[in-house]
Amino acid sequence: MAALKRVQQWATFARIWHVFDASWQNPFESAELLKKYLMGLHKPIYHPMNDCGDHVIVINSLDIALPGDEWKKRVYFHHTGYPGGATWTLAWDLHKKDPTLRRYTMERLHIFPDLNVPQSLMKNVSNQIRQIRPVPKRLDAYSEKEVKEFPKIIDLPKDYILR
Amino acid sequence: MSNRHLFLVPKFITTPSQNGVGRYVCQLQRVVLKFCKNNGGSRGMREFIEHDLINYTKDNPGTVVYLKPRRHRGPVICAEYLNGEKQSIFCNNFSCEEIAKWLNLLLTQSGNHEGTRLRKMWHTENPSVQGPWTPYTFRDPTLNLAKFPNVDLSTPLSCPKTATEHLLELFEKQKNEKFENEKLD
Repeated sequence: MAALKRVQQWATFARIWHVFDASWQNPFESAELLKKYLMGLHKPIYHPMNDCGDHVIVINSLDIALPGDEWKKRVYFHHTGYPGGATWTLAWDLHKKDPTLRRYTMERLHIFPDLNVPQSLMKNVSNQIRQIRPVPKRLDAYSEKEVKEFPKIIDLPKDYILR
Repeated sequence: MSNRHLFLVPKFITTPSQNGVGRYVCQLQRVVLKFCKNNGGSRGMREFIEHDLINYTKDNPGTVVYLKPRRHRGPVICAEYLNGEKQSIFCNNFSCEEIAKWLNLLLTQSGNHEGTRLRKMWHTENPSVQGPWTPYTFRDPTLNLAKFPNVDLSTPLSCPKTATEHLLELFEKQKNEKFENEKLD
């Protein structure tokens, strides 16, 4: 192969590193989004037989938002193989134990619970994947003045007990 | 589904050293016509040798033709190409015209293509005028200078207005109208 063609080959199959901010994102929807990048489905050269998947760094995985009451209702099953070795772990419990869980087949997915990513990985990043939904602003993020000036629809009676 | 193609060697169309561009070198170097003088299966071959072989050799001076009579054996055309490949065609009961057609095929092809499957019906050294795609083509140049992780690049592009924002806008509008009415009075 000519020298120029060899470089062309390297350029076409270069792996790109993406970063994705998972804060307030639905992990099930994010998985569908990140799957395309990990498999290389977003590339025009994609073919099931060629290996063109990209690396994705997921940050803030501690702050993911499961829909509805999934934190309480979703159960992860594990069996040790011994009698009575079955365990059922709720999603919130598992997330507390390890917020960076992934399957072993996804070696190009790097998950970090917060913004602390090793510099050796972060220096590779050259693209950011946009979030699926906007991050909502919580009440404690507003200043006191903003809260006071926020338009009220009704005036609460004086003896109304706020919980 | 048939599995016959599994034993075929997948190949691309090639030309030995740009044959046919500027000059043409016939790739068929040697042909041996093997036949029997008595057997009926060699009748077509004998007819071809009797009537058409002289013209064939005169038309193709670059190809050596050998005749190999042998008793009680089937007729065979053995071809040898410039790249060293050999091809033999068993032509029992072939007519004179059929043998002429096979010899024409051997003459015009660039080598032995038996047992091969063409992956594509065309071949080009330059498949794309604009150059092959790389991850850097059509890339937004602002990404070159961006620091990652970046909040601006992370927010979704299309966010529909929320009910709260809509209400706040209405409230602002109402407040402005009230202010202007007071000014007029």
